[in-house]
Amino acid sequence: MEVKKIRTVLLVIALICLFASPALAERGVTKDTIKLGLILVKTGPVAALGLPDGHGMVDYMKYLNDQGGVHGRKVKVIWEDDEFQAPKSVAALKKLIHRDKVLSLITSGGSNQTIANMKTINKYKISNIPNALMREFFDPYQPYIFAMGATYECQYQCIVDYIFNDMKDKNPRIGVVYAKKEYGKIGLKAIRERAKAYGVDLVSELVLPTGAVDASSQVLTLQKNKVDYVITCGVLPPVISFLKTAEKYSYKPKAVFGFNWATDDMIVKACGKGAENYIGVNFVGGWADDSPGIKLVRKVAEKYGRDAKSIGLTSLYVHGIGASYLFGEAFKRAGKDLNPDSLKAAFETFRDFDTGGIFPPLTYTDKSHAPPEMVKFFKADVPNKRLVTVTGWRTPKKMK
Amino acid sequence: MAIRSKTFRESYYEDIKLFKTIWIKSWIGLLLVVLAVLPLIGDPYIIYLINISCIATVAALGLNILTGFTGQISLGHAAFFAIGAYCTAIISSRFQLPFWICLPASGVVAACAGLLVGIPCLRLKGLYLAMATMSFGVVVEYVVITWDSVTKGVRGIGVPTLNLLGYPLDSNNKLYYFMIVLTALAIIAATNLMRTRVGRAFIAIRDRDIAAEVMGVSLTQYKVMAFAISSFYAGIAGGLYAYVMEYIHPEHFTFLLSVQYLAMIIVGGLGSILGSIFGAVFITVIPEFIKGLAQFLTLLFPAIEDKYDDGWNIAAFGLLIMLFLIFEPKGLSGIWTRIKTCFKNWPYTY
Repeated sequence: MEVKKIRTVLLVIALICLFASPALAERGVTKDTIKLGLILVKTGPVAALGLPDGHGMVDYMKYLNDQGGVHGRKVKVIWEDDEFQAPKSVAALKKLIHRDKVLSLITSGGSNQTIANMKTINKYKISNIPNALMREFFDPYQPYIFAMGATYECQYQCIVDYIFNDMKDKNPRIGVVYAKKEYGKIGLKAIRERAKAYGVDLVSELVLPTGAVDASSQVLTLQKNKVDYVITCGVLPPVISFLKTAEKYSYKPKAVFGFNWATDDMIVKACGKGAENYIGVNFVGGWADDSPGIKLVRKVAEKYGRDAKSIGLTSLYVHGIGASYLFGEAFKRAGKDLNPDSLKAAFETFRDFDTGGIFPPLTYTDKSHAPPEMVKFFKADVPNKRLVTVTGWRTPKKMK
Repeated sequence: MAIRSKTFRESYYEDIKLFKTIWIKSWIGLLLVVLAVLPLIGDPYIIYLINISCIATVAALGLNILTGFTGQISLGHAAFFAIGAYCTAIISSRFQLPFWICLPASGVVAACAGLLVGIPCLRLKGLYLAMATMSFGVVVEYVVITWDSVTKGVRGIGVPTLNLLGYPLDSNNKLYYFMIVLTALAIIAATNLMRTRVGRAFIAIRDRDIAAEVMGVSLTQYKVMAFAISSFYAGIAGGLYAYVMEYIHPEHFTFLLSVQYLAMIIVGGLGSILGSIFGAVFITVIPEFIKGLAQFLTLLFPAIEDKYDDGWNIAAFGLLIMLFLIFEPKGLSGIWTRIKTCFKNWPYTY
């Protein structure tokens, strides 16, 4: 009888444990903490891009905690360095899920890293905002990817529109300098097609490798072809090399354009007068903007002992704060019952959500996680060594 | 070499036996038991690290056959690895062929590429051979990036889940036994190869190629064979990598990966099968170990938390490799041999 009783009790306990454990312990959420992962490059050749972004994400969560947290919970961010390598990113995500048991990720890093992790992201319901702008992230619909930032196609379409409509050039001589990377190839195609839609062919299409420290051959070719508008499809370092080389050869096109990864105050600081004809687009507000969102960004930076100089690439710090800001809002909307499903559902309640100028207004639904296809234009303010906003949020013009 | 008391060998066959004593058989049996129960007790992250170590082991074995045993320096191992990975990815995603076709095909295609490189490189040695193999790596990287229609270029290519007799191996725990079995097969094959005439010919070429030729070893035949076998291993490892990652991209197979494989066999021990395993596991797992240790230290001494960042891990890893090269040129397998000798001769020093 006694043995039978013990067996019954053990069986009941085992059943309770079996069925109760998932409900008792939601991954990464306790009564007073929310564990969030962050996979972003910290070391290696592109650390300068990952660090300000990640610092922005971490700083905003600290700020949120200092304001009392969300529904009584403090957010703990665990930052894993992927060295911008997809295999390391895959390992990092496995560690964050299985060992640290995080609720979700703020970001899974760049395009390759996010695609490499896609199956795991879907399997473990990891809502995250990738640091990349591929159309594949939202078309077709990916349930746990919340795309933020205008696609490369949109950015370059807006640039071509700007040449024709704002600079009012009916027959511009456009040249493209691009890197043989995903953004470079997509950018080149988008520019070519957009210019064609306006009835113009590109004059030059030149490759500029990401690691280039000199762009003499590209500059001399553009000069020879009398290119008036240069559109660069490269990240910050090669664009800086290009502008410096152009200055060396006294090549002064009417404008040199760049996309979001090359639109930062750093370009003016690094090139000085060489950047005076530079015009960039970005889907985040500028560091010097007067909007409430950017004021908050500067306030957070100051609170945690950072200034523009120590941050480095301020546009990425703004992006980092913006991504965490969206998570903070989603946590609030998810309420006390926070889990992967309620977090996703909370994101999907965003309707023209206003970040105060950090990002354009954004909308996510249960059928679309597409980003707002909007950018702002920035021009170099050489005396003050910064970029200044010259337009509001813009979308590509509808072509007939 | 120390011989255990009462262990006498009376024939050459006994001397080259794989499992020479009952002790070795017992230890291997114990290892197999531990490996069998590991997925039941280890967390999925550890299992993932073991899977990745298995892939690195197969690739490092291949490089050790070429560089460690035959003395042909290669800086293009990542290229053969990439060929294998892309072969599996393309065949399995486009034609939905099963793994038992994809994996051998990856090995064979990579081996053919090895022949292609090996034949023109026959007259090259040392740094010149290193340069030639490195150039092959650059060519492969260029082809993979620009041949969009086949490789999907810079967008990368997705790989379907490995299906074993209708059972999808869709998690690392499920892939684990598959990886262990294949790695064991690769190790046994390499060990056996080194016990044959071919293996001895490789070693003879490494030690003094002119003497080897005088003894009747065909340099052309065996050098090309070493390239092909090495590339076959790299191709198989690449195929496995594609299945584990389920997505591959040109940036996964850079020159740095070739250097990493070279580091594995140097740290593990050149010209040693066991060294390939040790080196592969060491290079794969040690960064995680250092990271864990650093996090533990920051818990013990919260004051260092602000001063610590991931750069320290990389520095510690680099320092560890430098110390190995300075104090233990025979690599981890050298340390292992000394430990074994110590136990065999205990309590006597000699």
